[in-house]
Amino acid sequence: MITPKEAYETLQSIVGKEWVSDDPAICEADRYCSLSSPTDEKRRPGASIEPANTEEVRAIVRVCNRYKLPFVVTSTFYGAGTYCRKDNSILIDLKRMNTIEIDDQNMYAVVGPGVPFAALQGDLLKRGLYTFVAGCGGQSSVLANTVNMGDAPIGWRTGLGYQRILGVEWVLPDGEMLRMGSFSQGDDFFWGEGPGPDLRGLLRGCAGHQSRLGVVTRIGVKVFPFVSEELKPDGWAYHTTMNLPTNRFKWYNIRFNTRDDAINAMFEIGRCEIGLVVMTVPPIFRGVARTRGVGCAGFWEFWKDAGAKLAAAATDVRVLLYGIGSNKRLAYEEKVLLDVVADFKGSAREAPCRDETNIMAADAICANVVGGRFSSEVSYESINQAVRYSKVVDEICDRHRPPILQEYNSTDWFCPYELGYIAKMECLRMAAVEGIEGLEAWKAETQDACAAGGAYALVPDNKVFGPVWGNYPEKEDAIRALFDPNKISAPE
Amino acid sequence: MLKVEEYKHQAETCVRCSYCKLIDLNWVKSSRFSRQCPIDVRYRFNLYSAHGLLHAALAELDNKLEFTPKFMEALWQCTLCGGCDIRCKRNLDVEVLQVIQDLRERCVEQGKSLPEHKLLATNVKKSHNIYGAAAGDRRKWMGTDVKPAPRADIVYFVGDAYAYRHPEIALATARLLEKAGFPFMVLADEWSSGHELFATGQVAAAKEMAEHNVKAIQSSGAKTVITGDAEAYKTLKVDYPRMMGKSTADMPYTVLHITEFIDQQVKDGKIKFTRRVPIKVTYHDPCNLGRLAEPWYQWEPKYEPPNIAVGKTWRRGDKGVYMPPRDILKGIKGLELIEMERVKDNTWCCGYGGGVGVAFPDFALWTAGERVEEARQTGAEAIVSACPNCKDVLASAATAHNTGLKVYDITEIMLRAVGK
Amino acid sequence: MQIKEELAQIVGVRNVSDDPEALGAYARDCSLSTPRAPNYIARPKNTAEVQSVLKLAGETGMPVVPCSSGIHFYGNTIPNLGGIILDLRRMNKILDIDMANKMVMVEPGVTWGQLQAEVAKQKMMGLCPLLPHPLKSVVTSHLEREPMLIPKFEYAGAMVTLEVVFPSGEAFRTGSACVPGFPDKSMAEGVNPGGPGYLTYSWLVQGAQGTMGVVTWAKVKMAPKPEIDKTFFIPFDNLDDAVRLVYNVQRRMLGEECFILNDINLASILANKWPKDFNTLKKLLAPWTVVLVLGGGWRRPEEKIEYEEEGLREAAAELHIPELPTSVPSLPGLERDLPGMLRNAWPEKRAYWKFAAKGASQDIFFHTTLDRSPEFVEAIELVTDWHEYPGNIGYYIQPMEYGRACHFEANLPYDPYSAEDAEMMGKIYREAAEAVIERGGFFTRPYGEVAGMVYEKAASYTSALKKVKNLLDPKNIMSPGRLCF
Repeated sequence: MITPKEAYETLQSIVGKEWVSDDPAICEADRYCSLSSPTDEKRRPGASIEPANTEEVRAIVRVCNRYKLPFVVTSTFYGAGTYCRKDNSILIDLKRMNTIEIDDQNMYAVVGPGVPFAALQGDLLKRGLYTFVAGCGGQSSVLANTVNMGDAPIGWRTGLGYQRILGVEWVLPDGEMLRMGSFSQGDDFFWGEGPGPDLRGLLRGCAGHQSRLGVVTRIGVKVFPFVSEELKPDGWAYHTTMNLPTNRFKWYNIRFNTRDDAINAMFEIGRCEIGLVVMTVPPIFRGVARTRGVGCAGFWEFWKDAGAKLAAAATDVRVLLYGIGSNKRLAYEEKVLLDVVADFKGSAREAPCRDETNIMAADAICANVVGGRFSSEVSYESINQAVRYSKVVDEICDRHRPPILQEYNSTDWFCPYELGYIAKMECLRMAAVEGIEGLEAWKAETQDACAAGGAYALVPDNKVFGPVWGNYPEKEDAIRALFDPNKISAPE
Repeated sequence: MLKVEEYKHQAETCVRCSYCKLIDLNWVKSSRFSRQCPIDVRYRFNLYSAHGLLHAALAELDNKLEFTPKFMEALWQCTLCGGCDIRCKRNLDVEVLQVIQDLRERCVEQGKSLPEHKLLATNVKKSHNIYGAAAGDRRKWMGTDVKPAPRADIVYFVGDAYAYRHPEIALATARLLEKAGFPFMVLADEWSSGHELFATGQVAAAKEMAEHNVKAIQSSGAKTVITGDAEAYKTLKVDYPRMMGKSTADMPYTVLHITEFIDQQVKDGKIKFTRRVPIKVTYHDPCNLGRLAEPWYQWEPKYEPPNIAVGKTWRRGDKGVYMPPRDILKGIKGLELIEMERVKDNTWCCGYGGGVGVAFPDFALWTAGERVEEARQTGAEAIVSACPNCKDVLASAATAHNTGLKVYDITEIMLRAVGK
Repeated sequence: MQIKEELAQIVGVRNVSDDPEALGAYARDCSLSTPRAPNYIARPKNTAEVQSVLKLAGETGMPVVPCSSGIHFYGNTIPNLGGIILDLRRMNKILDIDMANKMVMVEPGVTWGQLQAEVAKQKMMGLCPLLPHPLKSVVTSHLEREPMLIPKFEYAGAMVTLEVVFPSGEAFRTGSACVPGFPDKSMAEGVNPGGPGYLTYSWLVQGAQGTMGVVTWAKVKMAPKPEIDKTFFIPFDNLDDAVRLVYNVQRRMLGEECFILNDINLASILANKWPKDFNTLKKLLAPWTVVLVLGGGWRRPEEKIEYEEEGLREAAAELHIPELPTSVPSLPGLERDLPGMLRNAWPEKRAYWKFAAKGASQDIFFHTTLDRSPEFVEAIELVTDWHEYPGNIGYYIQPMEYGRACHFEANLPYDPYSAEDAEMMGKIYREAAEAVIERGGFFTRPYGEVAGMVYEKAASYTSALKKVKNLLDPKNIMSPGRLCF
């Protein structure tokens, strides 16, 4: 329920009674988002509202300002900060705003927040284009993911989220509209920068603001040239895959003897500017891939024997080659890759020419099947930082078992992007469900080590990192004060 | 019904990714036909989805939430199509559909059954069919032409819909069995399968049907039950053992859908499709024949850390009856099968199931309308299905939307292809 | 103490000036902007000195206009309200060449010529715009978002992290360069532009024309430099056909440098002796030329060129383009020399190509999509025809990001010493800009009076931008009067 009552009535007048509700069940179902910490208190919204368009969003935000109603924003609920922290909050669910417009020739799409990656991908593939699809799965929102995160192995070619934002339509927390890029002067979203200073700098940093700076209602996103051959899905239930045309794609699984060899090979592949995906494969992913469809039990049955045998020093790298634009390109890229593998004493094996992870990211969440609580330390920085920082994280992990479960060897995942200009390191850790305090202790120690060692990690504790990273929380607060004078946009 | 701890555990295992709202992502071919869940598409609030219902279930269990009007609306307009369940199980171990079904039972236990659903139970109690029609009329479809064998290995289980609403399909099924050369029995006292009662949370009443029918089948001596009614198929194969605390393999009979049976006979050469049926069709997978129709594996919850379900066989949707109807259609001369985008385990529900057709006919029609549009875009002249309620609601929607599409039961097509 | 004395205490007596002649050099540039002199020139050597100058400016309300190139084209370093010119050319070190991450860290005074010579030793190249003036600063090019010649990367700009001194005097490092101990003692290597936190500070500074702060170093991307190349000069009678080929080639992800020039601009670039060579070339060249360089890969360079050429020929065949010449009439060997030219600054000893015709050039540039380029040629020529512009208009169309968009540039040579020319150019510039804006051309980096037009139209953007500016620079000391401030 929302107080005062007239606020709710006003919201009803904006979207129609059908699209706003204070029914406790509707609000309860909107209480929780997926990636937040279990210790964060998530309150039931006072009302949930589903606007149909930007004009309604703007009106809603203005009503919230009038009555000082806090609000948070979501569409798929698959985010980290999109839950209500205060009573009498409005949850703005944008999934009705699901328009897609595609400019084939100039390779961009304009999407509303309710468009999942898979939906956009479906429309693009038949046009010889493709979109980046987030590593968290094709079911997540294009807009939300691009302005908040935007990472997946295919970022080797497409870049991370911040590289893919074109024109933007944004309702600021005070209800003012902000049109950015080419959209600032007309109806075209084709270009993102400017005019002049680029205010997309307010839209996101390493990650996005997760509702703290209002509601982004449309963005132009870059889409990319793809092959004209049809990609044929195959299988059903848990067997599904996307068959890739063999004259255009090749997967290679490569084993190196040492992590250094693997890392240096990845650097070299970046200099060669080949491939669509290049990444290490943590043993746990290999385990999960092998145990498709047998669930948690099947995974652990495999892992208890095989996990220990997966070579501790070896690092597997997977590369997807991509012969676009010329019939001879695939052959060229393959030769270059095998040259690199040989130079770094690896051994390469061709893998089946199909994909479950990148084109649609259909098996994105399968790692959760292993049970327990998943936690990860993530950084987006250089490949070198990934290597150094992961060692630090590993050492700290060793001091926190339990609750962290044994993985026999490092499960760290190195995923370079943008042809090697930047890379993700993700340390995936499984913990027993009961071990929440232990995980918090691990996180705290990791954060301290990150701050002390000058590493750049993704989810910083403002108290730890603020003083040593240019007092950025103060700057964020100052920006928020500019645009959210009533402090209603996802207030803490 | 799951035990409370298991129910809670399953609901808590949801990671809230919203994958349950889409078809398998690898099979998405367009944004227009990418979605899986009718209540999600129509109502959009998160409550109207497996994700939302599981979340609400937890709050209800903790006495933090009652069955509010919207809760009831979301819960009872779910068609129990199982799309969310299969989708989630592609990657995770979560019994999504079981939680929703149990939530319905809890709702009924609190006296919140819908009047339309209560009427089904009343009718069944009175005359052993959901329509409340005269029990004695159940075998009327046979007329004088159909002469079931006094003793045979096969029982043809007709089901309420074919017995009372579409006798021509029951007749066609009988003809096919005769053409294949297999004598069959028809239960003298066949009762409603109990499908709708089970689906609407009225499990005790459904169990009565189950016990009666199983006893009747056993008494007949038949080992094989054939039915053309997809709902009855799923109920006899999956829900009966479940209600009785057994696995499908433990039941005293094997259930086959008519398409499974005929497909095998065609492949064995015992039946031939000799006549041309020149028509372009698209096939609609009934939920109850496909993703909901895997054998049931009874399991007593037992876990080892971190979340290993010890000894459990998971039903992940790959063992449904997807190919036999297609093989049949492809084997018919002159017939062209064009697939829709959402097929097999990705099928878009017709809208009738889960008691929705009875209690929310407008929503059922809306859901069917979505499917009919998908069919229309294939360029097919007709939709073929293998379930009486699918056929009815799709036909209504095809008419309501002026599509010109015809809707057939596959049995009709098979009979045409076999010839008289 | 007088300001001059205080500046001298900060940067040293020899690095401060209020000499009228010295000030006069900063009062005007190669544009038609009204000359306005600063009050002082200060030449700092390091970040600390920059900070001190800005603190002084804040205390005294004295405007500061940073500049780091030795030549300026668009009026954005002419002080509108007097103040201190902060000339950063003494800060001219290449601080680090980071081969692993393919990036280079440079101070603002580093020029393109300086950078390209240095990184070439490691077989790398900076991602430069079209033939930058030898005095042009690398940092300025990136801050100003000048388009790269190579459209093959999935990002328009190559600037990654930087150190900026905000108007308050705070030195702030953006992105992952913010970590303590950067660059020598940190794990982070300054390759993530985002953050810290949920803002990207480097973007607020880019395109700002010195209004948000002073950049004291920047880390920018570079790329492997091909050791062999094959260059094509594909002629077209009309721009539509040229654009079609570019779309096709870019969609196939082929090539390194790729751009379209009309005969005027190509002749201007290639002419050695003026006007003789220019006139000869102008007669021989087709109205439009697509310049496409296929570069050898880091490995197996010949094979890379081979497959790319195959792709190019397929593209040409699809469009019924009969020939793919690898030379320019009357200039044998150009195909061998051009890639090197493009990967370097304009040679110091040659008159800059834009000025060779008449001494100055009024440039009109904006972003649009390739398919609309012919429309904008028409729009501009409606204006120039109206004013009976006597010169030859040069056009340069630079595809960006695999042809997703393009930088469209019209270069109008004029005599800077002719008042009549200046007056005509002023009118043409204004009216052409209006015509472009009306048709949806996007001035992503608006200069001079175009800024006024743009910010008036982009009302919501302007409002938000002013708030941010007011936050960072409450006393409006950084380049006041610039953009919309």
